[in-house]
Amino acid sequence: MSRRDTRPLPVLLLAAGAVLVAICVTSLLLGAGEIGPLDALQVLLGGGSAEAAFVVTELRLPRTLIGLTVGVALGAAGALMQTLARNPLAEPGLLGVSAGSSFAVTLALLAGASAATLTVHVAQLGALIGCLLVLAAARIQGVGNDPIRLVLAGATLTGLLMSLMSLLLMLDQRSADEIRFWIIGSLAGRDPATLYAVLPSLLLALVLVLLIARPLAALALGERVAQGLGHHPGRVRLLAVMAVALLVGAATAVAGPIIFVGLVVPFIARALAGPDIRRTLWLCLPLGPVLLIAADILARLLVAPAELPLGVLTALVGAPVLLLLIRGRRLPTL
Amino acid sequence: MRPIPFITRLRRLSRGLLGAALLTQAMLASAQTLDTRFGPVEVDDNPQRVVTLYEGALDAAVAVGATPLGAVLTRAGAGVADYIQPRVPQIALVGSARETNLEAVIALRPDLILAPPNLSEEQYRLLSAVAPTIVPAVPRYQPDSWRQESRIYARALNRAAEMEAVLAAIDTRIAALRARFESGLAADARSATLVRWMPQGAMVMSPSLFSTTLLAAAGFEVQDAGIVKPGRPHSSPLSQEKLSLIDRDWLFLATLDAEGQAALDAARQSPAFARLAVVKNDRVVTVDGQIWTSASGPLAAQALLDRLDQLATSLTP
Repeated sequence: MSRRDTRPLPVLLLAAGAVLVAICVTSLLLGAGEIGPLDALQVLLGGGSAEAAFVVTELRLPRTLIGLTVGVALGAAGALMQTLARNPLAEPGLLGVSAGSSFAVTLALLAGASAATLTVHVAQLGALIGCLLVLAAARIQGVGNDPIRLVLAGATLTGLLMSLMSLLLMLDQRSADEIRFWIIGSLAGRDPATLYAVLPSLLLALVLVLLIARPLAALALGERVAQGLGHHPGRVRLLAVMAVALLVGAATAVAGPIIFVGLVVPFIARALAGPDIRRTLWLCLPLGPVLLIAADILARLLVAPAELPLGVLTALVGAPVLLLLIRGRRLPTL
Repeated sequence: MRPIPFITRLRRLSRGLLGAALLTQAMLASAQTLDTRFGPVEVDDNPQRVVTLYEGALDAAVAVGATPLGAVLTRAGAGVADYIQPRVPQIALVGSARETNLEAVIALRPDLILAPPNLSEEQYRLLSAVAPTIVPAVPRYQPDSWRQESRIYARALNRAAEMEAVLAAIDTRIAALRARFESGLAADARSATLVRWMPQGAMVMSPSLFSTTLLAAAGFEVQDAGIVKPGRPHSSPLSQEKLSLIDRDWLFLATLDAEGQAALDAARQSPAFARLAVVKNDRVVTVDGQIWTSASGPLAAQALLDRLDQLATSLTP
């Protein structure tokens, strides 16, 4: 056992939670507009001008809440996916889940739905189908969840769906602008009402995660060991896939596809708390939104008065962290 | 592997075509020489098979009564722009503004190619091997770029006089509209911005585009709040926190659906947009994005002035 396996989880969670609170407050204080940290602080303390109150409560608060939800969902989904695939490269973006989700939304928008209405459920359904397709493709050879096959199948499906999406966009150029906005992940300009729509599925995913955390930890030790401990690997895997699809579907429905968060966050969690999924999973919950909201704050500030696409920033913030971890003496393995 | 063999093949083909063209010229008419961005180009003074690779060139050609054989797609459209489609129902599509389908151009056997002012030299070498290719030496995004371009295209078609008449008619109409707006609106109530709305914010169009210069000529004071960089057609998508930058007396909202209502409704969903004074005062004018943010030329100008005519009528019935 290394030292990081013995750090008490409550202390780690408390520290991560404190960082998350600090990031959320920062997110309310900073923006591309004229309302500076001091004006925003006055609003938080119950005063401030009407303009400042509008910016803080109607613009910055919704995007912070969306960042919080999406970050939690992506962090947890990444941890589940990596444990499930027994592969540290597994992330929702690589395994066809996000692509399935985006493709389903593209179909719905072309069929006449407006971006504001049905996309939440469509995105979740697409994520589930994409996820199941990848698992099915990887299992065709009857070798269980061979990590290499899983990643290959995911990359193939993602490529296929992306090209189909480009084809559909060429067929209907007028919807293309709306879809193009949608398939670039962003926290700005999203309707916070979609948060209510995805809340039930997030709660359902949470229940699933609580149910499978222990069996998943056993599964990480190997199929035989898990069976010996009285678990059903097939059933656990299916439940985990459903949880991932619910989480990523919800995140994608609210903010569009966002890369890198699901990949990096479990790495950071493992670097802090060791490889046990029962520890990393809970640590991923605060760390996901920390990374996402930090990236969003940079997205607002770097090119003000315009804003950068969030996907660019999540990679920009996440990549150095990941590189540092890879360059470390001991790679935080699964 | 460099594409030299293909170019060589094209050159051979062009020599054949050129030979044929020279023969016809010798029999029918004399040639005229035009100054273009890539030097003087000799063209037949009665071209019959014209291909346009630029919306402004198609517009100018049709405006002076020519019937081009081929054209490129309009932005975000499945054909040429809707305003010009009825006047060229048979036109062949030879690519998009970004990418010309060279084989489709050759298949039309053009004797004149009207190309965009920003054509790359590499593309020019390929195209000029097919037919004389006119690339106007006109700086982009300057107030009068479209007029200069239209004049050059018209000269290449040997219809310079017709173009002067067309442009004069537009100037007369602009002057009349300007008088109506100046009498209908106070001098301090005519500031305006042209934007393309995106859900995460607005893109502000430069005041020196085709559409915004016409808007200014018709009496509006077009502004970009200093956020469009020089030489760029529009700004990056503006942060919602900075939307006050587009809060002028008038907001011209370019949309890509025909009636624009859907785009306006979508924009109103955003609380940051809905609270702008210009939105509350109901001074948002939805305009056709194909004409206002993509096209240029005399016919587009007439279509644009039609919309301003409607606006003027709604102000002073």
